Amino acid sequence: MGLVRKQAPQQPEEVLPEPPDTGTLLSQLDDPDPDCRREAALGLVDVAEAVPELLARVGTEEDPRVLESILTTLAARDTEEVAGGLAVHLASDEAVLRTAVAAALATMPQSVPALLPNLLAAPDHDVRVMTAMVLADLPHPEAHTWLVKMICEDPHPNVVTGAIDALLPSATAEDAQLLRDAVERFPDDPFLRFTVNAALPRLTGTA
Amino acid sequence: MTADTPTRARVLVVDDAATVRLYHSSLLTGAGFEVSEAANGLEAVEAALGASFDLFVVDVNMPRMNGYTCVETLRSETVGSDAPVVMISTEDRPGDADRAYQAGANLYLVKPVAGDRLARIATMLTAGRDAA
Repeated sequence: MGLVRKQAPQQPEEVLPEPPDTGTLLSQLDDPDPDCRREAALGLVDVAEAVPELLARVGTEEDPRVLESILTTLAARDTEEVAGGLAVHLASDEAVLRTAVAAALATMPQSVPALLPNLLAAPDHDVRVMTAMVLADLPHPEAHTWLVKMICEDPHPNVVTGAIDALLPSATAEDAQLLRDAVERFPDDPFLRFTVNAALPRLTGTA
Repeated sequence: MTADTPTRARVLVVDDAATVRLYHSSLLTGAGFEVSEAANGLEAVEAALGASFDLFVVDVNMPRMNGYTCVETLRSETVGSDAPVVMISTEDRPGDADRAYQAGANLYLVKPVAGDRLARIATMLTAGRDAA
């Protein structure tokens, strides 16, 4: 008689818990537990209707990890609505917030370019310094061009030095003259002169 | 080094911009300090946990851990450093300096800082400290 293979007992299917619905996640953004708020923010990554709620919390969330999660979720959308809602915080008095927002905007190459005319013309020079920080990491083919514009045109030396610092990693010999011109525009700025003098030998091949 | 040679005071320069670190490090090295560098607040805290410094020169706007949080952590029981802290930033809004002093800084300067001024301040703040 042939061997009869014994049927393995049927394993009961593992039942995964239902993910919380959008309404639940939105209400959890106000939970006193920061871990719960953080999970809710991350869970809303594909929910377009959550964008206004998340943007409203960017300026009020005090837990840095929750803020980071909110910004991660928002930046993943890379829309002009999100970029515009975030950019207002570049003027924040809170260093944690403005630097976190700058880092988020630097990951949004589709939507940040539309904001640049206003950001480059912002009356607050600190906002323009933060804009240079955004451009330093923005993966966009025109980032170099915008930084050059800042270096050539901005009236504030701290903005120009910020833009130079952002430009230097990708600078070439073609940028040498614009750096020299920047020193000429701000002859009394010791840091600007030092930075350019330190960079020029590498750019011009005389290091 | 002989027993008569004083140990050079140690400074940690904390800034995310490489050019700024280079600038401040060059100024302070030229003034006789032994300088280490950190690219953000977190690196600074790690450095301060592993070594003793006589002075910290700290930027405000940095990724991962900003300058205010960095200084608060340096002053906390976690690190417990009582070394002087100079914060240097582009920010010159009303309240920026107050925020720095609340965090535990001894001095708040707005960029750019002239080289001789930073060296003078560093010398003054580290005078009388037993070098690390």
